Formats: sequence, structure tokens, C-alpha cells
Amino acid sequence: MGTFQLDDLIDDRPDEGIFRVNRAIFTDADVFAAEQRAIFEQGWVFLGMESQAAGPHDFFTTTIGRAPVLVQRDGEGQLRAFINSCPHKGARLAQVRQGNARLHVCPYHSWSFDSAGRNRAIKWKNAGCYTPAFDSEDHGLAPLPRFGNYRGFLFGSLAPGELSLADYLGEAAKLLDLVADQSEDGLELVPGQVTFTFAANWKLQLENCSDAYHFTSAHPSYISVLERRQQEMSADVVASVWENSDYWKEEAQGVAGGSFSFDHGHVLNWGIFGITPAIPLYEQAGALGARLGEGKRDWMFNMRNLTIFPNLQIAENASSQLRVIRPIGPGMTEMRTWCIAPKGESAAARRQRIRQYEDFFNPTGMATPDDTVSYENCQAGFAGAVQPWLQGHGRGMTATQPGGNRFGDRIDLKPAHNVLADSRLSDETLLQNYYRAWAARMAPELAA
Amino acid sequence: MSQALTYEAARDLLYREALLMDSGRYAEWLALFTPDIEFWMPTWRDEVTLSDDPDRELSLIYYRGRRNLEDRIMRLQSGLSVASSPTPRVVHQVSNILVTDAELGAVSAAFTCHRFDVRMDRADVFFGRYEYRLVHAEAGWSIARKKIILLNDTIPTVVDINAI
Repeated sequence: MGTFQLDDLIDDRPDEGIFRVNRAIFTDADVFAAEQRAIFEQGWVFLGMESQAAGPHDFFTTTIGRAPVLVQRDGEGQLRAFINSCPHKGARLAQVRQGNARLHVCPYHSWSFDSAGRNRAIKWKNAGCYTPAFDSEDHGLAPLPRFGNYRGFLFGSLAPGELSLADYLGEAAKLLDLVADQSEDGLELVPGQVTFTFAANWKLQLENCSDAYHFTSAHPSYISVLERRQQEMSADVVASVWENSDYWKEEAQGVAGGSFSFDHGHVLNWGIFGITPAIPLYEQAGALGARLGEGKRDWMFNMRNLTIFPNLQIAENASSQLRVIRPIGPGMTEMRTWCIAPKGESAAARRQRIRQYEDFFNPTGMATPDDTVSYENCQAGFAGAVQPWLQGHGRGMTATQPGGNRFGDRIDLKPAHNVLADSRLSDETLLQNYYRAWAARMAPELAA
Repeated sequence: MSQALTYEAARDLLYREALLMDSGRYAEWLALFTPDIEFWMPTWRDEVTLSDDPDRELSLIYYRGRRNLEDRIMRLQSGLSVASSPTPRVVHQVSNILVTDAELGAVSAAFTCHRFDVRMDRADVFFGRYEYRLVHAEAGWSIARKKIILLNDTIPTVVDINAI
């Protein structure tokens, strides 16, 4: 393909202390097309939550890369995933994001399919003068080559492959457990969907979630709102998780958090919040400790930003957000975002979680817009390629250690690398983990 | 004793609110709201249904209390928010004003807001309906409740309170 080879895009020379990323990976149309093929249309991609199709015949729709996907539960309760496209003329079959259907009838020529994806009827079949060869074809919906469910997190792949979902998630699955185990009843997405776009590359979202460095720079207006609220202690305002934590403040001493990097590009950055009433899970702190042990319970109360490469992020900081990243073009990305919550929490905890979420995470809130606008500023800046190599992936390189650490040991976490950080280190080596996975996947596309 | 709301009073208040926001007169804009204002922009639950319980469903914006709007205005003007500076230029066009219950001060209206984002050289339009509850106090009519039903809810990067 095109003009770039891998070495032109990722300059990874650990022995020389160099890790650099070329701006072109965010802007080049050929690189983007190759990403769609090699990353989104090859390996495991997050689809959604099992709770989005909880009952018999429930379904939801999503995408893998450019492909429309239908996740459908049949009458016996089995979940499957299909290409959301009628085999007749290719029309998109399910038209809405979520619903219930025993039968999907294509709105174009009325071919129909049951909730197991089997073709039920071809209109005027007998009068159609079809050949025997046509009759011998399977007229059902095309199932995804692979479909997997890890504790309610659903993944699919458009290509067969060797790597099982369990092996793909690896040790990072333990971080999904920290979300899934917050309630014995499991997880749910709070009703109400929020979709936004930004005019920038999808990898900027990937990076920002894992970037502790930007918080005090990009969000001073939010911080000043918190300071104003703290002075007032009014019942009208939502208690913030941030204002009860010193994790991000410059004057904090000692280990404040850090990062973990896992195989296949998954990363976590984390910080110590402590078990505080500002976190909606607080009402369950005692019960969680008794049920799961203090180590796992304490981790649930840490600030945690998790990325399961390439398109799932779960941010548990100001509240709890599940994000699905959908690349549209080199300079356009769509985000579908939800408030993710443990089932069965009290009405007061749920209200607190929702208010904290709206305040911080919404594109109509007070923090996310300062991130997404910064992505757009990056995208605009990338066009200047006189110095093509970015300098944004070097923090923490002399602090990174192979394997785990005493904090991760509390949940038996065995990452590939870790960094322990004070409040100012703001590791960027976890971003390198994205690009090493990216490079491994892109190598066949970028061969000379 | 409560005063019945007239169309003219409702229209004047809604037009004034739009003018104050569009011309950046934020302190006067804030003064139109009661201290216990409910300011609510719900999410859509699905393609055709709005969420209707802000305690159990996500909203795009939900505030009780004017001081929360003061936070938003403070952020908008602070110079500390890259998303807010330079302040986008906006114009609200409010129409279809109907007093639906004169005793309760209930008003329905339609809105279109055009926003020009100077930073990105990009124009967007947001449209939907307003549902108000207006109350009469010594200084005249104030806004005790404002519900904003945003119809085009795929948000292009950001929607702040100045564009709805």
C-alpha cells in the first residue's frame, strides 16, 4: 500500500530510548483504510453489553468497522451476532438501535428472518422460477465469523482467527471483572443514549482516556467550578469525586497511581481515590469487601480508565462511563456513550451517579468538550508535518518496569509492563502499548 | 394570588431570554430564572421516545438550582475552557409560542439555534421544542422550569447551554 512503511510511522527503538509516532497515522487516508482492514475487520471488536438484549427476541445494532451488525437473542435465550444486511439485496435489516423482534421483515422485498437468523420466508418463492442452485443456498443472515461473551461484554470479529476472546483479553479481563463484580446482579446501561462526533482521528480518543497529563491543563474551568462548589456546600450541587481526591493535585506526595500495559494493546491508568461517599458505590463498600475481599474492593474505588483495544473504554473516575469508539474517517469519529452501573444500587446512589456523569462526561457537560475540542486542535495541527514525529509518547520511559507491582498484586494482576507514578509523572508509555499493538496488526498492510 | 399568563407576556419573556443569551448578557440571562429553576434537557431513550425520569435515566443536562447555571456561565466566560473560547456566535429563533395553561404558567414553543463556531469555521444548527413553566413575582415573570427537547441529538463535538 501507499507511500508508508511501518518504520516511517512508528519509530520504536527501546535500546536508544526512542519511541515516536508520525503525525501521518492520524491524517493519512491510506493508513485509515488499512486500519479498517487490519484492526477493525480482522480481530476482536467490542459490540455492546449483553444487557442491551436481555430478554427473548431482544436485539441491538452496532457496527464493526464499516460493517453493520445485529446482535439478536432468540426465543430460547441464545445470543448471536449477524451482519445486519438482507442477503437478498443487501438492505439494512434492523432499522433501530435496540428493540424486540421475533421476526425481522426486510422493508425492501419482505424477506423475513427469525430471531435465530434463519430465513423464514422469501416472498412469492414458488412463483419465482428460481434455479435449484438458488434453492440450495442458505438464505439466512450471515453470522459473524466469531462472537464472544465475557461476563456480559460482547465482542465479535469479521474474520476467523486463532486467538480466543479469553486469550485476547488476557490479564485485562480482571479489570472488566472489577466492573462486572460491583453487583451480584450484574451490570446495566442507564437508559438514555448519548452520541457525539468530533472532527479528529479515533486514536486521539484512545490516547486521551489514558492521558493523565492533560487533566489540569485541559480542565481548569471544571476544576474552578469544583472549587466554587466546595466553598458553598450547597444541597443544589452534585458532589464530585474529583474534589474529594488529591490524586491529580500537584502537591500530593508518594505513589498516586500509575499505569498497566497488557498484551494486544489493552491499557489501564489508575489513581487512588479512596473509599469516599462521593463515589456511588460507597453504600456497598462493606458488602463488597466481605464478598470479594478488601483488595478487589479497594480497586473498585480507585480511579480507573480502561481501554480494551481497539474500541472499548470504561472510565470510572468522575462517574462511570462506557464508550464505544467508531472511526468514520481519518478526521471524523463517532462516540456512543453510556452511563454503566451495577444493577440494584439504591435510588440515591443511582441519582448521584447520573448527576456526576452528566456534569463531567456528556458532550453537553463541562469536561468532555474541552477534550474533544483539543482533539480537533490536534487534528488541525497535524497538517503541519515539517517535523513529522510527535513528542507525546515519552513520559515515563525511565520509570516503566516489566510485569506487575504491589498494587496490582492485590488483584493478582500480571500486566506486561507497569509504571508507578506520583501526581506529576503522567506516564505516556501506556500509549506506546497502543501503538505496538497497532504496529503488529498493521505490519502486513505496511510491508514494502 | 397567582396571575394568569398572557401570550404577550410569555412571548416577551422568551424573546428577551433569547436576546440576552445571543448578545452575551449572561448576568441578565441568569436573572430570568428562579433560584430553584429546574433546567432539563433529556436524552432520547430510543428513536421515538424521550427519557422522562431524570433520577433513573440519563439526561443531556439536568440541574435543579440557578447556581448550577451560574457554574455554566462562569465556565463559558472563564477563558479557561478551550471549548468555550472564542465564544461561538449564536442566534436563537423562538416560534410557535403557545400558552398551554395560563393558570400554571405553562408555555410551549419551538426553537432553532444557529451556532457559528469561529474556532473551527463551522456552522451547526440545533432545533427542538421548549416547555416552560413561568411564575410571576414582584419583578415580573420568571422561569421556574425549562425543558429543552433537542431533536437532533447527535452532538457535533459540543453543545453548551448557549446553543440550546
